[in-house]
Amino acid sequence: MAMTTEGPRRAAREGGAQGRLQTEEMILNVGPQHPATHGVFRLLATIDGEILINAEPVIGYMHRGYEKLVEQRDYRQITNLVSRMDWLSGINNELPLALAVEQLMEIEVPPRAQYLRVILCEMNRILNHLMFFASFGAELGAITPTFYAFREREDIQRVMEATTGGRMHFGFFRPGGLKEDVPRGFVDDALQGVRQVIERLPDYEDLLVGNEIFKQRTIDVGVLDKEAAYSYGVTGPIARGSGADMDVRRDEPYLVYDQFDFDVCSAPNGDCFDRFWVLVREVGESARIVEQAIEGLPPGPIMGKVPRVVQAPAGEVYVRTENPLGELGMYLVSDGDRRPYRLKIRTPSYNNVSALSHVLANTYVSDMIAILGSFFFVLGDIDR
Amino acid sequence: MFDITLATWQILVIKVLVILTVVPVGALVGGYAEHKVMAHLQHRLGPMYPGGWHGWATTLADGIKFLLKEDIIPAAADRKVFSFAPAAIMVPIIMIYLVIPIDRNLVIEDLDVGLFYLLAIGSLSTIGLLMAGWSSANKYALIGALRSAAQLIAYELPIVLAAAVVAMLAGSLSLIDIVEAQNFPFALWPPGIGFVAFLLFTVGAVAEMTRVPFDMPVAESEIITGPFTEYSGMRYIFSHMFAEMGHMVAFGGIAATLFLGGYKPIIPLRILEYIPGVFWFFGKTMFMIFLFLWIRPTFPRVREDQLQKFAWKFLIPVGLVLILATGAWVLYV
Amino acid sequence: MGRPGAVVPEEALDRVEEALGPWVEKHELNFGAVDLVCKPENLVRVMRTLHDSERLGCAFFTFLSGVDRSELGAGGGGLEVLIHVYSPEHAIHVTVHVPVDPAAPECPSISGIYKGALWHERETHEMFGILFPDHPNLTTLYLPEDFEGHPMLRSFKLPTRVIKEWPGAKDPEEAAAGGR
Repeated sequence: MAMTTEGPRRAAREGGAQGRLQTEEMILNVGPQHPATHGVFRLLATIDGEILINAEPVIGYMHRGYEKLVEQRDYRQITNLVSRMDWLSGINNELPLALAVEQLMEIEVPPRAQYLRVILCEMNRILNHLMFFASFGAELGAITPTFYAFREREDIQRVMEATTGGRMHFGFFRPGGLKEDVPRGFVDDALQGVRQVIERLPDYEDLLVGNEIFKQRTIDVGVLDKEAAYSYGVTGPIARGSGADMDVRRDEPYLVYDQFDFDVCSAPNGDCFDRFWVLVREVGESARIVEQAIEGLPPGPIMGKVPRVVQAPAGEVYVRTENPLGELGMYLVSDGDRRPYRLKIRTPSYNNVSALSHVLANTYVSDMIAILGSFFFVLGDIDR
Repeated sequence: MFDITLATWQILVIKVLVILTVVPVGALVGGYAEHKVMAHLQHRLGPMYPGGWHGWATTLADGIKFLLKEDIIPAAADRKVFSFAPAAIMVPIIMIYLVIPIDRNLVIEDLDVGLFYLLAIGSLSTIGLLMAGWSSANKYALIGALRSAAQLIAYELPIVLAAAVVAMLAGSLSLIDIVEAQNFPFALWPPGIGFVAFLLFTVGAVAEMTRVPFDMPVAESEIITGPFTEYSGMRYIFSHMFAEMGHMVAFGGIAATLFLGGYKPIIPLRILEYIPGVFWFFGKTMFMIFLFLWIRPTFPRVREDQLQKFAWKFLIPVGLVLILATGAWVLYV
Repeated sequence: MGRPGAVVPEEALDRVEEALGPWVEKHELNFGAVDLVCKPENLVRVMRTLHDSERLGCAFFTFLSGVDRSELGAGGGGLEVLIHVYSPEHAIHVTVHVPVDPAAPECPSISGIYKGALWHERETHEMFGILFPDHPNLTTLYLPEDFEGHPMLRSFKLPTRVIKEWPGAKDPEEAAAGGR
C-alpha cells in the first residue's frame, strides 16, 4: 500500500472546500534526548501537520576524537579504544585494526586463531542483530519481542563473558592472533547458544514479520533506492535491504570466511520491511557460520610470530571488514613507529545516517520513527 | 431482617461512598493485573516485592509515591486549564460506573436511559485530553492531543452502533432491562449479528481507551506520553493511570453487561442459577479485562492514518449494515 | 568471490590508466587497491570518470578524509585529501590522494557526484581546515560552531599527553628493565 503525502499536502495548500486553510510549518526537535533515537542524536524536523517535510540529522554530541586519540597510543591500547565505537558489536571493531597491522607487518595468523576470530565475530553479530530486532519492535509499539530477543542474547553473552571477560567491550584481538585461548566448555556452550537461536528464530520472525499491523507500518515506508545507497556509501543490512548485493565476507573474504557456506540475504524494495527482514535472516546465517566454524575448529597456537614490540613498517593500507552494521574500514598510515601516524576509521553508521535526510523527505511523522528504527545505527559509530 | 428506612440523603451518601471506593480499588486491581499479565506473556515475572506476596501492593505503592511528588506546572502553561484537565478526564469515567448493574438489585442508579447516559457521558473525557495537551505548551503534547481527539471521535461511532444493536434487540435503554433480555448472551444470539457487534464494541473500546494497538496518542517511543508529557505527580496519576485503568474496568463491565449477559449465567441452565449473579458479573468482567490486557503486548501500534481509515472505511460501514440486519431480525423473527 | 564482473587488481590498474591517463600524476597498486595522485584542478574530472565510466563504474563512495603528512618521515609532504571509492560491479578499489597547499588549503567538492561526500567534506573541513568552495553547506559537523583550530592537524597537540607522558612501563622492554 503506497502511502504518499501528495493528497493531504495539496489539500492543505489549496485550502479544501471551505477556502483558505492556512497551515504553518513547525520545527520539531527530535532529540537529543528521545526514546526513539538510539542515543544522543538530534533530528531537526520541519513538520506540516503530520507530514515531515524534511529532516536534518545533527550529530557530534558524542564525538570523542578517536582519530586524534589513536595517534598517541600504540596498537594494543587502540584495540581497547576502538572497541567502544560500535558498542553493540564490540569485537568486530577490533578486527580491522588487527588485520591492517598484520598486513603491513606480513604476519601470518595461525588457523585456530582465524577460526576463533570468526566464531567470536559472528556471535557478536547475532548479539547486535537481536538488539536491533528488540528495539525496532519496541519503537513500533510491540513490546514483547524485546524480552524474547534479550533472552537469546543472554546465553551468548555468557559465552562471550567466559571467554573474554567482558559483555560489551572485549579487548580480545591482538595483531597476530588472540589474547588467550578459549576456556574449557566454550565449544559446547557456544554450540548450544547458537542452536537455540536457530531453533527459535522462525517464531520470532513470525511474531513481527508475519504481523499484519507490522507489515502495514513498514512496507513501502522509507524507501532507499540502490543508486542513492551507493552514492551515500550505505552498507550493511540497510544496503542489502535496498537490493545492493554487497557483503565483504563474500566479496573479499578475510579470515577464513571463504571456507564457510552462507547466504548473503538481500531484498529488492529498500523499505523498512526489507531492511528488517534482511536483519532477521542474517541472524540465522551467522548462527550457521558459527556452527560450521566450531565443527571445523583446528587445534594449535592462537598467536602468530609477533615481535615483542609491535611496530608496523612504513606504508599505507586500507582494510575493510563486515561489521554487523555495515562496512567498517581502517586506513592505516604508518611511519614505522609503535603508534599509527594516521588512522582513518570509516564507520558504517556515519554513511548510513547521512542518507537519512534523503529518505525522510516527505514522509509522515509516525513513519519517521519506523524509519529511524530501521536504520540500525549506533551513536558511537556515527560520532566516533 | 432489619427494618431500616433510610432518608434520601443517607442513601445518596452511601452511593457516593460506594462509587468513590469501587473506582479506585478497581483501578488499582486493574493496574496490578496489567503488570502481571503483561509480564507473564513476556516470559518474566512482573512485580514481586511490594506487599510481600507477589507484589500485590504495587499499584498502591505507586499511587502513594505519586502523591508525594512535587507538583510541577510548566511556566508557559495555562495554569487553570492545566490544573482542571485531569478532572475533566477522570470525572466522566467515574460517572460511568453509576449505571452498571452488578446484580439484579445491585446498581447505583437504574436509569431508564442508562445506555444513552453511558455513551454520552463517556465521550466527555475527550475534551479533557484536548485540554491537557493544549495547555501544556509543549509541541509533543499538542500532537498527542490532536491525535487523541481525532481517534476518540472516530471510534465513538462503532461503539455507539454496536450499543444501538443491543438496544434494538433488548427493546430498552435501561441496562437492567438489557441484561434481563439476554437469555443467551447477545454475543452468541442472534447468531452472527451479535458476535460481530461484540467484536465491533471490543475494538472500539480498545481504541477509546487509547490502548495498544490504538495508542498513537500516547505512543511512548515517539511523543513520550502524548498529552500528558508535562504532567507529574498526582495530576499524572489521575489523568493517565487512573483514567486508563478505570476506563478499562468500566468498559469491561459494560461489555459484560451488553454482550455477555451481565449478572445472568452464561447459558440458561437451572443449576447455574445457584451461583450468585455477582460472581457471574465479575467473572465476565475479568474475562473482558484479560482480553484487553492480552492484546497489549501482542501487537505493534497502528499508524494514525491507518487507524482512521480502519474506523471510517471499515468499522462504521459494518456497524451500519449490522443495524439494518438487527432491524430485520427484530421485525421478522 | 567469483562475481561475474570482478577483475583482478592488475587489470583494474590497466583500466584506470586507460581511462584517466593524463589527469593523474601517479598510479600504482597498493595492497590490491589502485592508488592515484591527482591535482585538485583535475579532481572533479577524475571522480566523474571513475563514477560514470562503464569499465570502472565506481558507484560506491567509501570515505573522504584528510592526511597531514607534515611529520611523516623524510620529505613526507604537506596536507592532502584522501578519497576512497569502490566499484561493486567490478570489485575495483581506488584510493585518490589530492595534495593541497598547506598555506591555503582548497579542494573542489565532489558532493555533486557522490552524495556521501556531503558529510565527509564537512568533517574534513573542520578537522583539517581544508576549504571546499562549492560545497552546499560547509558548516561544522562534529565540533561546536565556536571551536577554534583544526584538531586533526599535527600542529594541534593533544594537551594531556603533552603535559604528562603515559604512566608506567609502556612495553615489555621497559618493564623488564625495571620500569613499573
